[in-house]
Amino acid sequence: MTIIGVDIGGTFTDVFLIDNETETQAIHKVSTTDDPSVGALTGIREICEMADTPPENVDYVLHGTTIATNAVLEHEGVETGMITTENYRDISHIGRHQRPQNYSIQQDIPWQSNPLTKRRHRKTVSERLTPPDGNVKVPLDEDAVVDAARELKDEGVEAIAICFLFSYLNDVHEQRAKEIVEDVYPEAYVTASSEVYSQFREFERFTTTAMNAFIGPNVVEYINRFKKELTSYGITADLHIMQSNGGIATDGMAAEKPVSLLLSGPAAGILGGQWRSELSTPTDEDPNTITLDMGGTSADIGIIDDGEVTEANIRETEIGGYPVMAPMIDIETIGAGGGSIAYVDQGGAFRVGPKSAGANPGPASYGRGGTEPTVTDAHVALGRVRPEFFLGGEMDLDTEAAKDAVSKTLANPLGMEMVDAGLGVLDIVNNSMANAIRSKTIQKGRDPANFTLVTFGGAGPMHAADLIEELNIPRAVIPVNPGVLSAVGLTTTDIQYDYVNTEFSLMSDLDQDGLRDTYDDLANQARTQLRSDGIPRDRISLELTADCRYEGQGYELNLTVGTSGKIDDIETIRQRFHEAHEAEFGHNFPGNPVEVVNERITGYGELPSSEQVSFPEATTPVADHVLAEEVVYFRDDEESVALDTPFFERNDLRAGHSIEGPAIIGEKDSTTVVPPNFTATVLAHGDLELTQTE
Amino acid sequence: MSNTNSKHTVREQTKPLVAVDNPEDEIDPIQRRVIGGSLINICDEMGHKLTRMSYSSIIRESEDFGCALLDEQGRQLCETDSTPLQMGPIPAYVQGVIDLFEERDEAFNEGDVILHNDPYYGASHAPDFGIIIPVFHEGELTGFSVTTAHHLEIGADKPGTCIIETVDSYSESIRLSALKIVEEGDRNDTAWDMIADNIRTPDMVMGDIEAQISAARVGARRLTELFDDYDHHTVKIAGQALMNYSERMLRSEISKLPDGTYSAEGYIDGYLESENPAEKDVFLAVDLEIDGDDIEVDLSRCDDQLDNKPINMPFEGAVIPAVLLVIRSTLLDTEKFEMVPQNDGITRPVSVHAPKGSIANPRFPAPTIARFTPGNRIADLTLKALTEVVPEKTCAGIGNLKVSTNSGVTDDDEYWVYMDISSGSYGARPTKDGLDAVDTLYANTRNNPIEDIESHYPLRVSRYELRENDEGAGEFRGGYGPIRELQYQTDGRMSIEGDGSKYPPWGFAGGQDGSPGALLVESEIDETTPRSKMSNKPISEGQRVTLIGPCGGGWGDPLDRDPERVQADVLDDLVSRERAKEVYGVVITEDGEIDQESTVELREDRR
Repeated sequence: MTIIGVDIGGTFTDVFLIDNETETQAIHKVSTTDDPSVGALTGIREICEMADTPPENVDYVLHGTTIATNAVLEHEGVETGMITTENYRDISHIGRHQRPQNYSIQQDIPWQSNPLTKRRHRKTVSERLTPPDGNVKVPLDEDAVVDAARELKDEGVEAIAICFLFSYLNDVHEQRAKEIVEDVYPEAYVTASSEVYSQFREFERFTTTAMNAFIGPNVVEYINRFKKELTSYGITADLHIMQSNGGIATDGMAAEKPVSLLLSGPAAGILGGQWRSELSTPTDEDPNTITLDMGGTSADIGIIDDGEVTEANIRETEIGGYPVMAPMIDIETIGAGGGSIAYVDQGGAFRVGPKSAGANPGPASYGRGGTEPTVTDAHVALGRVRPEFFLGGEMDLDTEAAKDAVSKTLANPLGMEMVDAGLGVLDIVNNSMANAIRSKTIQKGRDPANFTLVTFGGAGPMHAADLIEELNIPRAVIPVNPGVLSAVGLTTTDIQYDYVNTEFSLMSDLDQDGLRDTYDDLANQARTQLRSDGIPRDRISLELTADCRYEGQGYELNLTVGTSGKIDDIETIRQRFHEAHEAEFGHNFPGNPVEVVNERITGYGELPSSEQVSFPEATTPVADHVLAEEVVYFRDDEESVALDTPFFERNDLRAGHSIEGPAIIGEKDSTTVVPPNFTATVLAHGDLELTQTE
Repeated sequence: MSNTNSKHTVREQTKPLVAVDNPEDEIDPIQRRVIGGSLINICDEMGHKLTRMSYSSIIRESEDFGCALLDEQGRQLCETDSTPLQMGPIPAYVQGVIDLFEERDEAFNEGDVILHNDPYYGASHAPDFGIIIPVFHEGELTGFSVTTAHHLEIGADKPGTCIIETVDSYSESIRLSALKIVEEGDRNDTAWDMIADNIRTPDMVMGDIEAQISAARVGARRLTELFDDYDHHTVKIAGQALMNYSERMLRSEISKLPDGTYSAEGYIDGYLESENPAEKDVFLAVDLEIDGDDIEVDLSRCDDQLDNKPINMPFEGAVIPAVLLVIRSTLLDTEKFEMVPQNDGITRPVSVHAPKGSIANPRFPAPTIARFTPGNRIADLTLKALTEVVPEKTCAGIGNLKVSTNSGVTDDDEYWVYMDISSGSYGARPTKDGLDAVDTLYANTRNNPIEDIESHYPLRVSRYELRENDEGAGEFRGGYGPIRELQYQTDGRMSIEGDGSKYPPWGFAGGQDGSPGALLVESEIDETTPRSKMSNKPISEGQRVTLIGPCGGGWGDPLDRDPERVQADVLDDLVSRERAKEVYGVVITEDGEIDQESTVELREDRR
């Protein structure tokens, strides 16, 4: 079976191919193009050629993308309209009437200052459902829906969110309105709140739906384009896309629910980092891991606590300050990457990022017309990156241009030496990454001393040593092929689909047969989908759970309810809920009625895992592999020092090799900096471990 | 600082540091940050548990609760990010309990859980129950883990807690003065039963008290673990260093301001329908003196207390938090000073004075349950005083709030009680428009989703939208208040505690005043007298009550407003074309375009 993972970052598109029958693995890296699908297809075509794999032999194309995220963060979605219940025009504007900050007069509220749907595009129609059953109290005024759709079309709106109160109980009005809108305005992207997030709490549901509409057209257009190009190249495999929760969805599901893709790219990286951390942990313990994925534009930080990827609390998940009710891995993203531009601001302060030179023009040293110094240029100017190693020598690096940029833009105006300015760029960018890591560890009561830092992305390994020193982390791991770990991570996950039935019944009102039927129905949907993905029966597994709470509570606990075909006795489930409540909150109420809010099934389709290819042991002294010795600049206390530094090619190193800093270890897609007082050791699976020399 | 003036109550200043003079020197900065982070994380976990375990929507959805950890002297170390009016008074609750224990010669013991709601001993008002757990480590009292929360029903003479007619402290709730409901681990069943028997919705309230206890226990356990992980001394030093840091940051901002006294005064509605002139148009005044890096706030000019109306404000539990909230939100606005922790250090540079017998410092047993809106007006006037000296950090007048209790008796002869918080809006800022339809100043709760309310109570929220055309005009305009309409599905009763229906939020620097709020009851004839309060009024099935929030004041001359902003408001149906022309001097065509020429001409004429 052949799987291709494609991860599109701001600067580079990474491609990984694995064929588990021939044990072929290949990696490839191309520049991200303005239309990201073009670069992705170039990468796929080239990697197939490199691996001698005909396109029709590819079984899966797994894809991580930032297209949805960027549309939200840059507020570059389409003009979006909303059709909502009469008398409730401003639900998405008023929100929960809470200010985001307790102690601020000058704050902005994102949904007020930068709404996903402007008030002028929020049209109300007469309709009303009532709880508890979603009965129709006021019928849908279909003519008003027609008028609203026409007005929105005339106003140039491209996407329409249909958001009615209580639609999670009964979607009849939303579905009918959706039909009408699609009829009147077939070109529009139309999405209904009951399809996006079928749960109570209207502000959060409406906002999630509006965001789905806001980014929908861009995502759909992108997916379609990419699929078309895959087909034209001769790939017959379906396109699958990484979701924010680390599971994989079909392209159709992704197009319907782009909000589930907001952390698609970063999630793949964290999974890759988790995999390497587990491989490199000597014991059977589940490792505590901080993943740092530093690419050209940004750095993503994730936490794996006792082997579990931390998932964000759905009540706290947000993107750009807007609530988004979609399951996602907990990730902190900051604007610090190899392409981040360093500058002196109006007040004379030295700053780095968040503006990035991207792939075009790129850093000054790329020689593509960039003149502003970037983090990469600082490394080049300090002698840490040698042109012959950069992208395997496939691309030239202009060292003089890097030095010039650092001198002209930074050193001269600040009255510093070029070397000090270059080191200053690194200090600033390291500090902002260290602060972001602190916010996820120290501020959450997690001591970095108990973690391993896995650094990857093209720029990560250049900063690993400085970060573990600053944060008192005992070791850093730089995985094999660190520049493409996200693409590799895509191939380590399972295909995952979630199915939900909203129940809202007291457990005492449920009967065993009815419950079984509900789960059977969900199980059939999951199995059908997974089989259509070509997953064999023995690689399909289902997880059956229910969201339960005490009647009257506002939040649910998720419990397992047995296995498919064998639902646990209702009394057993009730008992399990009491125990779970005790475990979670230290208290339970055995006499109180328990309510089942949702039944859920998650279907997993196991893909052949990326078994680690064995890595050869060292047979020669490491000193034999020194390629050159050059002057490289480091920081020693407050002073800059020029040290003769050996350069190694990572491909020459074998398990057991150990290198004392200062040293530079170059490889095709990244460079590892080993400062003085650090040691780099090649581990059994080929990963590089950095520790401070005792 | 000491009690220099017998006429004034001077807020007792923080006790001197006992451990060391310069805690910063004794702890390495990484460890200090780790411990500071752990403390915040513990409070977050407490809040999380409380929201998830509680039953009433006022806690689980509206988040009208607070959690904090304090050191063994009762100084606050850290807090949740729920509503400031719940966290702010927590140190006063603990001090109140300490004082009561001293008076009664009672001691804190390991395993005690103390329930407290006495507004004359630090509580914010009777419905906000405090749960105080003394934390012991190796047999020594090392701190307090505290939760506060607004309870739905507290056994007053009328259902619910939005009560505007009470005669004294005894008539407004069951009184709980530092009551050990769990004593050294043993639950006091008698006290428990007595409380349950005295409230109308015992299941919900007792469930919420249990949730509060569980959350406070989590805090106590985690704090003990922290003492185990480090040692008592290290945690203590870190706590002191964090407090000193916050104090230093606030002092540094205060010292940048010119010394002097800055004043603001105004009125609250009070009881507009009352025949007693003392009960309406109540006068409040704030005199704020900046002296070096200290601020003294004097409230001596406020009206006297009302002996038989509950809009008197507990001094420690409501007035001081109101003043501190505004000083922190302007001088250390988290938009800019995100990293300054909210702890005891923030309170140190500020002292507040109000004479005993003032509406801002009543004498026992004057009732205080409806202190919410007058306290928020004290905050608004503190802000107004600061506008004189740091206009760039403040905003124009802010709209006050309304809170309703809705109740009835079911066919099964059981009470249902529901509390709803309606929002106000913010005044315009020096460079931006005001926030629309938000909770204001020391209140920062959340509304209850309509889909939650209608699923649990015989109520319908039949409208929830922004007001239109009523904004405080200016170069930057004030926020729009909301219109929230409640319709009863069965016969019931409604009480409303509110203010701001007569006096509009103030405009600044040429900006117009905003619009007052309103309270309308369907099919009632007399709508001529504005009102903001209602006492346990019968509402019949199908009848609607409309709560309209005020619109915030404007900032700067409306004729200076960017025509494109006016156009956007017209397109959004917030400002009519007529109003755009009349108030802003901007001519918008029928097609929604700006008529540039006519606009320039009109604006020139007006100046």
